[in-house]
Amino acid sequence: MRLLQHTPRCPGRFPAIGPSNTSLNEPDPDVELLARIGHNEPAALQEMVKRKLPRLLALASRLLGDAEEAKDVAQESFLRIWKHAADWRRGQARFDTWLHRVALNLCHDRLRRRKAQPLALDDSIPEPVDSQLRPDQQLEAQAQSDLMAAALAALPERQREAIVLQYYQEMSNIEAAALMNISVEALESLLSRARRNLRSYLAAQHGDVQPGGGL
Amino acid sequence: MTPERFAHLAEAYGAQLQRWPAEERAAAQRLLASDDAQAKAALQHAQWLDGQLDGYRVAAPSPQLAQQIIASASPPPSLWGRWFGWLFPASFVGVGVAGVLAGMLVASLALPLPSSAHEALPNLFDSGDADLVQSLDTTEDTEQ
Repeated sequence: MRLLQHTPRCPGRFPAIGPSNTSLNEPDPDVELLARIGHNEPAALQEMVKRKLPRLLALASRLLGDAEEAKDVAQESFLRIWKHAADWRRGQARFDTWLHRVALNLCHDRLRRRKAQPLALDDSIPEPVDSQLRPDQQLEAQAQSDLMAAALAALPERQREAIVLQYYQEMSNIEAAALMNISVEALESLLSRARRNLRSYLAAQHGDVQPGGGL
Repeated sequence: MTPERFAHLAEAYGAQLQRWPAEERAAAQRLLASDDAQAKAALQHAQWLDGQLDGYRVAAPSPQLAQQIIASASPPPSLWGRWFGWLFPASFVGVGVAGVLAGMLVASLALPLPSSAHEALPNLFDSGDADLVQSLDTTEDTEQ
């Protein structure tokens, strides 16, 4: 089993993510934008927000299940971006990976603080409404979204993190494993257990009908 | 790739092969192309959960949040700030240059000249020629 180097969780600094865990051979698409932010270009700030805010907010929303906390995490993450943009150097971690690490650590901090309390879904999360759907279809889509949110919230924290990074954030197995400081094999194990648990939760909600056919 | 390995990967990464490890995709495609029943069943099994996962949509960020975040970046310096930013270091340079010049002037006046030039150009602070100057003054008074 290939174990990845442990990196300390320190949201205020550049996390050490080794080159073997990142796609450093490919050019980092964010480096140029960071340089422009370092030169105080207002348009670059807007571009960075447009590029990263939806992904950051989605990550924090799904990990925390709380819209307000997710916004706080997104804002704090951007403060780190503004602070470090001028000092960013090519060749260290990919910027997007670094940013995910920052946001993950901020989420970890918040989850630790409320460890004693079960993860409560925030009813105030405004769900997007697909205007192309009929009202009854919208209701059905809303119910499905709520159910999936509840299933995700019911997962153990590490399983939830694995599925959010790999599935929703569309990270490669290597990137997700590096962010979680685990091996790829351990990530696969977490993903498998997460999907089994989600299936069980949803099956229970669907009246014990085995979804998707049994294997 | 064995059907068991295929099922394991489908259970971990879901039904979309582009989410699978890059090095496994080609072999997985070949297994699927061979109409392997176990592989197809595993894919169908994973597809259902993918559909459920896709159903969980989170809200897009509001324009207000985006504006707050942009505003949290350091504002560009004002006109006065830019002038100050230019003048402040320039003033240090100016003071430094003035100090060096003043030091050179004092040194040139206070230090004794080399012995060869001493006789030709007496130093202002050198009182060695006081007797000569006084005698010249006395001579002039006498002549008058």
